[in-house]
Amino acid sequence: MAEIQTHQVDPYFIDFPDRIRRIQKRMHESGIDVYLGSRLRTLSWTLDAFCPWRSFIVIPPEGLPTAFTFVIDASRVGDDSWLDADHVLGYAPMGGQDQISAVSDLLLRHLPGGRGVVGIESGMAPYLPEGNLTHFEYECFQAALPEARLVNAHDIVDALAMIKEPGEIARFREASRIVDVGHQEVWQAIQNKGYCGMTETEVGGLAALAMRKAGSEWEWSFTGGNEIASGYRTGLAGGACTPASRRELRPGEPFMVDIHAMFRLCLGDHSHNYLLGPATDRMRWHAHNFVDLVDLCLKTYRPGMTPSLLADEMLDFCEEREFAEYMVPGFEHGIGMMGDEWRIGMNDGPFPYWTNPDHVYQENELLICAMQYACTEESIGFRYENPILITADGCEPLSKFPLGIEEV
Amino acid sequence: MDTFQYISPEWAQEAMQRLRAELSAEKMKHVTSSMVTYYTDCPDGMNRAVYYRFVDGAIDEVSIHEGQAPEAEFRITGEYDTFARISRAEMGSRSALMSGKLKLQGNMVKALSLASVVDRMNKVLATIPSRY
Repeated sequence: MAEIQTHQVDPYFIDFPDRIRRIQKRMHESGIDVYLGSRLRTLSWTLDAFCPWRSFIVIPPEGLPTAFTFVIDASRVGDDSWLDADHVLGYAPMGGQDQISAVSDLLLRHLPGGRGVVGIESGMAPYLPEGNLTHFEYECFQAALPEARLVNAHDIVDALAMIKEPGEIARFREASRIVDVGHQEVWQAIQNKGYCGMTETEVGGLAALAMRKAGSEWEWSFTGGNEIASGYRTGLAGGACTPASRRELRPGEPFMVDIHAMFRLCLGDHSHNYLLGPATDRMRWHAHNFVDLVDLCLKTYRPGMTPSLLADEMLDFCEEREFAEYMVPGFEHGIGMMGDEWRIGMNDGPFPYWTNPDHVYQENELLICAMQYACTEESIGFRYENPILITADGCEPLSKFPLGIEEV
Repeated sequence: MDTFQYISPEWAQEAMQRLRAELSAEKMKHVTSSMVTYYTDCPDGMNRAVYYRFVDGAIDEVSIHEGQAPEAEFRITGEYDTFARISRAEMGSRSALMSGKLKLQGNMVKALSLASVVDRMNKVLATIPSRY
């Protein structure tokens, strides 16, 4: 007799049909007849497939959703997704098959007499590939659905996606394990003056190869894949974005390695810093400041903490140690499945579509602990990023690469 | 040679015979599907539909409908004149779709894989001597 399976054997299992049912319940509570998702984060969170082309998901009041993507990629998205081929459709520049016609035809099937409420995703973000409905798309859909009312409803998905599920957390842990493989590869490559003659782009490539071998799907970050900086580029003011350049690594300079892996749409993102010897005492002073700050920050995250409370504590420490002028006064950014990379929590802060500084962290929220230290006049800076899981009484940094700034 | 009134029951019968005779199941990729073409603004002012059904690559039905046609996997809608021009080889069906003169409803991914089958069908249908 076959053993009865009482649990999911895939540690990375996520119950996507249940996610759809939870969205549908919220739609019902909000008076929304059909949901039109367009943001990359919504597509990842509902489809379990990466959608690099403009895509939409139509979620009816009950039953399976239907995704639309550019026809050249629809078969692949269907193959990756949990949905069958009849629920992942392609659009193309053809009569009846352009994205507005194809999507609005399906929306109309869920709007009796063409009347009802369509939930859409509108807003803004510093993050370019957010995927909010554009003004032109909005006008086209409104023209195609003249009797329907289009209302902004992204908060449904935002609320549901905030607390991470066990399978999602397991995927994030694996993505971070892969990132640590990349860091180990870089660390080995630069030892014993191995960095001499190496460029930032080459370091990015070394890490990428190691991470791909370990199972990473791509270096997902829209900020240039693996971000590598050396010398003065580490200390650019506010410089938390450094796509690798062709600059050669040089002795006596700081060196920052910020690498990214993706595992089943969940994201690894960890930065590690080095001093390429010989280092001066002043460089070591900067390095100690930064490591101590990161250590304190990781000990401070816990449920009940907010971004503003945390920033106050951290900046007090920076002031006490007389390096506050070098810190970017922000210590985290949001993270979720591919496309969810910016705001933390809901859109309920004083500045629309920015993190609410009074957002209260809860257990099983995930964020990127992110710090940028930049002393431009001395051409030195450091970056720390690590996905952290808020636990019952603290936080779990998902990258386990040892914290430190080593002299190489 | 007999000529047939375009999209009349006689034309449909002739279409069925020619499709069966000239397109093997292999050429039709053993497809099992259905398609309905809606003709708007016919010369008599009516709208008509031609319904095609294929089973394992064999044409199983070609029928003419005034008003509601049976449900089909693919629906192609356009003016009678557009279809007539395609039938007379004055216009390509792909060009008619790309310019929006024809409107296709149905799974675009599947439609792409069946495009060559539809091309072969259109070539056969274009051989029917027709009066427009």
